[in-house]
Amino acid sequence: MRFNILIGGKAGQGANVLALLVGRALVKQGYYVFMSREYQSLIRGGHNFNVLTFSDNEVRSNDSKFDILVCLDENTKKIHKRNLSKSGIVLNSSQGTMFFAGSLFKVLGLDFNLLENELRNLRNFDENIKSAKEGYNAEKRKIDIPKVENPGREFISGTQGISKGALESGLDLYFAYPMTPATPLLSELAENQFNHNFLVFEPENEISAINMALGAAITGAKSMTGTSGGGFDLMTEALSMSGQAEIPIVVYLASRPGPSTGLATCTGQGDLQLARHSGHGEFFRLVVAPGDSVEASELTSECFYFSQKYKIPSILLGDKHLAESFYTINEKPKITKSEKTTSLMRYNSYEHTKTGESTEDAEIIKKNFDARKEKQEKIEKDAERFKMFKIFGRRDSKNLVIGWGSTKGAILDAINGLDARFLQVLYIEPFSRRIKSELEKAEKIIIIENSATGMIADLIREKTGILIESKNKILKYDGMPFLADELKKEIQKRI
Amino acid sequence: MFGMASKKFSMETGKQPTWCPGCFNFQILAGVKNAIIREIENGGQKDDFAIVSGIGCHGKIFDYLNLNGINTLHGRVLPTCFGIKLGNPNLSVIGFSGDGDAYAEGIEHFIHACRYNPDFKYIVHNNQVFALTVGQPTPTTEQGFKDKTNPDGVKVKPLNPLKIALASGASFVARVFADSCQVEQVLLEALKHKGFAFIDVIQPCLVFHPGKGLKERLYSLESEGHDKTSFEQAWEKASEYDYNDGQKIPVGIFYQKQEKVFEDNYPQLVSLKDKKISWKDIKR
Repeated sequence: MRFNILIGGKAGQGANVLALLVGRALVKQGYYVFMSREYQSLIRGGHNFNVLTFSDNEVRSNDSKFDILVCLDENTKKIHKRNLSKSGIVLNSSQGTMFFAGSLFKVLGLDFNLLENELRNLRNFDENIKSAKEGYNAEKRKIDIPKVENPGREFISGTQGISKGALESGLDLYFAYPMTPATPLLSELAENQFNHNFLVFEPENEISAINMALGAAITGAKSMTGTSGGGFDLMTEALSMSGQAEIPIVVYLASRPGPSTGLATCTGQGDLQLARHSGHGEFFRLVVAPGDSVEASELTSECFYFSQKYKIPSILLGDKHLAESFYTINEKPKITKSEKTTSLMRYNSYEHTKTGESTEDAEIIKKNFDARKEKQEKIEKDAERFKMFKIFGRRDSKNLVIGWGSTKGAILDAINGLDARFLQVLYIEPFSRRIKSELEKAEKIIIIENSATGMIADLIREKTGILIESKNKILKYDGMPFLADELKKEIQKRI
Repeated sequence: MFGMASKKFSMETGKQPTWCPGCFNFQILAGVKNAIIREIENGGQKDDFAIVSGIGCHGKIFDYLNLNGINTLHGRVLPTCFGIKLGNPNLSVIGFSGDGDAYAEGIEHFIHACRYNPDFKYIVHNNQVFALTVGQPTPTTEQGFKDKTNPDGVKVKPLNPLKIALASGASFVARVFADSCQVEQVLLEALKHKGFAFIDVIQPCLVFHPGKGLKERLYSLESEGHDKTSFEQAWEKASEYDYNDGQKIPVGIFYQKQEKVFEDNYPQLVSLKDKKISWKDIKR
C-alpha cells in the first residue's frame, strides 16, 4: 500500500520544511519514504510543492494520485484537487505552516512527541510548538496506515549522497559557481567544510571554478567542481585540459532541461551526450550516473578512484530529480577508496614531452595519443570490477526495460508485478561490454528517459549495434519526473 | 646570455627558445631567472616555486624555466595560480600572461584576483599585440593600429590595466619595461609583498608592434619621489599613460598596501601554512 501526500504553497510558505518534518518522522517510525520537490525559479510567491510517498514496503518514486492534500494556499487546492483520490483528505485552513504540521501528524496517526522532536531542530520552537499543538488538537480525521517496525533508517537526498561520497573519498577542495540544480551540493559542502577540514570556494564563474580545481589538483589535492548545463559548457575547455595534461578532476554535472538557460528548476536527462563528448579533442572522460542517494555516494567515490588512478576527468551525471529528492536508505554505500596520485611537477595543456615541455615532434605526438588510447583500454577493463549496470525484476523475463540515472526509482516501482526486467546503466562511459548479451536475451527492449530524444537508445545503438524502435521509447520531457503509476501503464502498453 | 644559473641548481630545461632573435621576452626570462636564483641563494628551494603561463608568445617561458607548474589554457593563468595556491599555500606561485591572455580572454579573473588578494605574483608580458597569431590588436593596443584584421585601424580606446587593478583593490601594482634588471628588481619586491602582486611589463614586439620611441617615453616613479602608499598618487600616475601613443610612461611600483591575504581568511589554509604542509599530505 502506497500513500501519497502533496504539500503545496507559495515559495516561502514552508512546504519544503513541512514535507521534511513529516518525511523524517515517517522514516523514524519505520516507513519507507520517497520525497520529491518541485519549485519555480522565484523566491517568493508562485507555486511550490513536495510530494511524499510512503509505505511499509520500499518506495522510490511518487504516484499521480494523492491521499492527502496539504494546501498552504488556495492555488494548491485549485491545481491539485483533481488528483485527489476518492477518499482523499484535504488539509486547508488559513492557519500557519506549523498548524498544518500538527494536523498532518494527527491525520497520519503519528504521536505528537514525534513532531515535537522534529521541531526542536528548527528555530522559534515555542511559537511553532504552540501552533502545531493547535493543529493537532483541531484535526479529527485520520487515515489508516499499516503499523511498521524497523525504525532507524536514514532519509537523505541525492545531494547529501554525493556529499557523503565526496567526503568519504577524501575531498580536499570544492569549487563551484551557483547554478541550479547543482547549488544544493555547494551549500551542503560549504556547511561541512570546517568540521571535515576541506575547503569550499565560490569563484567568479564556472571557468574559474574548474581551472582553480585543476590548479589545486596538480599540487596533489583531491578537487572537485559542480555545475549545470550552461556552466558545464563553460567548463569544457578546461575539462579537455584535464585530458591533455592528465590532471585528476571530478565534475558534478547536475543537468537541467535545455537548450540554453532552459528550465532551471525542472528535471531532465538531455545532457547524456554532452557529458560523453564534453571538451574538444580525443581523450577519455568517465561518465557515471547514479540512480539514488546510495549510488550517488558510491559513484562519487568511483569518480575519485578513476580520476586519481588514471589522471582523467570523471563526470558524475545527475539531475534535479536526483539532487533534490529524499530517499530512505536501507544500506550503507560501498565507498571505493582512492590514493592521492598526483604531485606537483611540470604539466602542460599543449602536447608535451615527459618533462612537460611543449612539443610538435611527430613521434612524441603519436606516442602520446597511443598512451591516451591505452589508458582508455585499461580503464574499460578496470571498470568491469564495478557495478557498471544492474539488473532488477524478473530474471527470466523477455521484456527488458532500460534506464539510467534518476528514473531508476520510478522504473523499479513501475515494474513491480510486471513481466519485465530492468537494466539500469550506471556507467555511461565506459559502457560495459556485458550489456550487449543482456540485450540479446530480450525479445522486447524498452528505454525510459526524461528527454525528448531518448539518448540512451543512441548510446546502445553505438555501443552494441542494437536498434531500439521509436515506439519502445518511453520519454517524458515536460520538466517533471516519471510517476510510478503512469509509467507502469506505459510499460504495460508495450509488453 | 641569460644563463646565470649557479651550478647547484639548473633552471634550464634544455629546450631551445623559439622566440624571435632579440625578442624582449628573453629580457623578462632573464629577469625572472635572476630573481628566483637570488631567492634560492637566500635560502629558498627550487621546489618552493610553481609557475603558470598562458598561451601566446609569453607562454613559452614555461618551456625555458625548469620549475614546477603548468602551461595552462589561454586566459586562465589566474584561476590556475589561485588553485595551486589553495592546493598548497606554502608555494611561491608566479603567473605569466600576455596582454591578450590577461586583458582580453581572462579579464574577469584579473578583476577578481585583485579583489581576492591571494598571495601570488602576476607578470603580464604586455607587447600590446597578439603576436603568436601574427599581429592582431589586443585590449591594450593603441588607437589607429592597423593590421589585416583591422585594415582601417583600431577605433576603440585601449584599456588601462593599472587603473583596473587599482579600482579592483589590488594591493601591489607595478609597471616596468622589459629589461632584465627592472624585471628582476620588481619581482623581488613583489615576492616580498604578502598578497597579490601585479606587474605590467611594457614590451615591444619586434615584428608586430615595435613600439618606436617607447623607451624614450619611460620615466622612473622612484626618481620623481612617488609615494607608493598613496592611492591618490597611484591613480594619478596610472592615468598619465592610457596605452595610446605619445604619452610619457611612468614605471616602477605605483601602489603597495599590506592587506589581509585571501588564504588567511580560511582556518583550513592557515593550518596548512602553520604546519608547512599541503592537502596532499592530509591523509583521510
